[in-house]
Amino acid sequence: MKRHLPRGLTYAGLAAVLLIALFPFWWMLVTSLKRPIDIFAGVSLVPQHITFSNYSRLFGPYHMGQFLRNSLVVVSVAVAISLVVGTLAAYALARFRLRLGLNRNALVVTLLVRMLPPILLVVPIYIVLGKLSLLNSKIGLIIVYTGLNTSFVIWMMQSFLEEIPRDIEEAAMVDGDSRLTALRRVVLPLAAPGLAATAIFSVIATYNDFLIALSLTSTPNAQTVPVGVSTLIGKIQIEWGPMAAAGVVGALPIIFFALMVQRHFVRGLTMGAVK
Amino acid sequence: MASSPYLLLVPAAVAMGAVALYPLIYSVRASLHHYRFGRDFGSTGLDNYRNVLHDSTFWTAIGTTAKYVGLAVAIETLLGLGLALLVSRELRFGGLIRVGLILPMTIAPVVVGVIWRLMYASDIGLVNPIFSSLGLGSPNVLAHEGSAFLAVVAVDVWEWTPLLFLIILAGLQSLPQEPLEAARVDGAGPVRSFFDHTLPLLRPVLMVAIVLRLIDAVGTFDQIYVLTKGGPGTATQLISTYAYNTAFQFTQYGQAAAMLVSLLAFLLILMAFAVRVTRRAARETAA
Repeated sequence: MKRHLPRGLTYAGLAAVLLIALFPFWWMLVTSLKRPIDIFAGVSLVPQHITFSNYSRLFGPYHMGQFLRNSLVVVSVAVAISLVVGTLAAYALARFRLRLGLNRNALVVTLLVRMLPPILLVVPIYIVLGKLSLLNSKIGLIIVYTGLNTSFVIWMMQSFLEEIPRDIEEAAMVDGDSRLTALRRVVLPLAAPGLAATAIFSVIATYNDFLIALSLTSTPNAQTVPVGVSTLIGKIQIEWGPMAAAGVVGALPIIFFALMVQRHFVRGLTMGAVK
Repeated sequence: MASSPYLLLVPAAVAMGAVALYPLIYSVRASLHHYRFGRDFGSTGLDNYRNVLHDSTFWTAIGTTAKYVGLAVAIETLLGLGLALLVSRELRFGGLIRVGLILPMTIAPVVVGVIWRLMYASDIGLVNPIFSSLGLGSPNVLAHEGSAFLAVVAVDVWEWTPLLFLIILAGLQSLPQEPLEAARVDGAGPVRSFFDHTLPLLRPVLMVAIVLRLIDAVGTFDQIYVLTKGGPGTATQLISTYAYNTAFQFTQYGQAAAMLVSLLAFLLILMAFAVRVTRRAARETAA
């Protein structure tokens, strides 16, 4: 064990880092709970008179409830479809020797799709969805998110499935199960933790997307939470209170999910390259 | 049964092809067409590319993007590496620290933008009071070109240093201990043993972290849109915000597509490299 620094100093350094990482969140929360007059009344790190009026305005004239409903529908449908589609493909890649070097090449393609910055895709997708009359619709968003997320599911599930010994499903197949039944009854329960982590990462990434939703939607009928948050900015006079409240509402579900998968975080972010 | 594994791949191939491959091919086509007010007026050969090459704002945006990405990723790597070495082994509150640090990079980048709008705001923010209490005056950070650029880089650093930290930490914790022990027995100091042993062993992981972050940073859009919309002037105009404006504000789809195809060509080189280092690191950490 090497110890170049005294313990105390290490902890002090980490405390400072944590403070920098977390304090801005506190500032947003405090601002969201202040009355407008207190927001402008100089620095105070706790709200003097706690009020929820920013939140009630956010869910009233600023349509936050609608944005949340849109996000809920779009994210859950897109993630559910991509999990099924992606896991089937991942199973084929993890368990069969395929021709054309598909095992390797297919993974490379999924990795490339995963890395594409959304800005490269939104312009052509906007033109094509416009021709199909799918702009400003939840269906349009679902289609796009399903396709993009499938690449992530394949990549993650392939690595989780490879860790499950083949003998187990082969035993099930000897007992008369078909391959897909064996996958459903034997393999998936064993891969459940990985599947759950993949699902949660997918939810986070899809929910957080801004650029695609911003380009493809234009009214609260289809706009998602991040787009909704951005509509509170850019007016001539910024409504700081509702904007802070929108940030809090936008962040909360994600913070909850992030805590659930924090153990798998590095794997998710490095496409499984580092475990 | 013989053909079924291929059937399992079909839905995924269709889904990914429809929203990734087809749009990229369509981009190439759109980049060769003339669009006005969003309507296709037919082929124009390479005119869009010529216009882009002669567009000084485009080159400014490329330069700003390069500066932004280079500066942010360099700072994030150094800070992340420093922090990871600081923590390196068994530590109490390790879980708490990890949870605290993943929050900035997990929440939507739009929310990151909102958070820092609130911090930077000249009238209601916290950055000004902090600066003036340090005797540095009260700059309106986002209103001046130089400070606005540094301010958006600082936000990137705040958001993404934890990523580098966590990946490097995971790498450090999976390093074999024998070479380090041997070096210590041989009397190598911590600095020597870091450069001679830790850094070379850490290289695959470090490469993955840096390359993935580089690619991601090139596409930065959300925070900029919320914080500065590329301004003041063009001080924080990145290639992504410029292409977005060209397409959706000025409805010059053809020209935007030409920019994006050029960017894709550049990114593909970086991505091919990323695929190689990622696969190699996966093999080595699996072994």
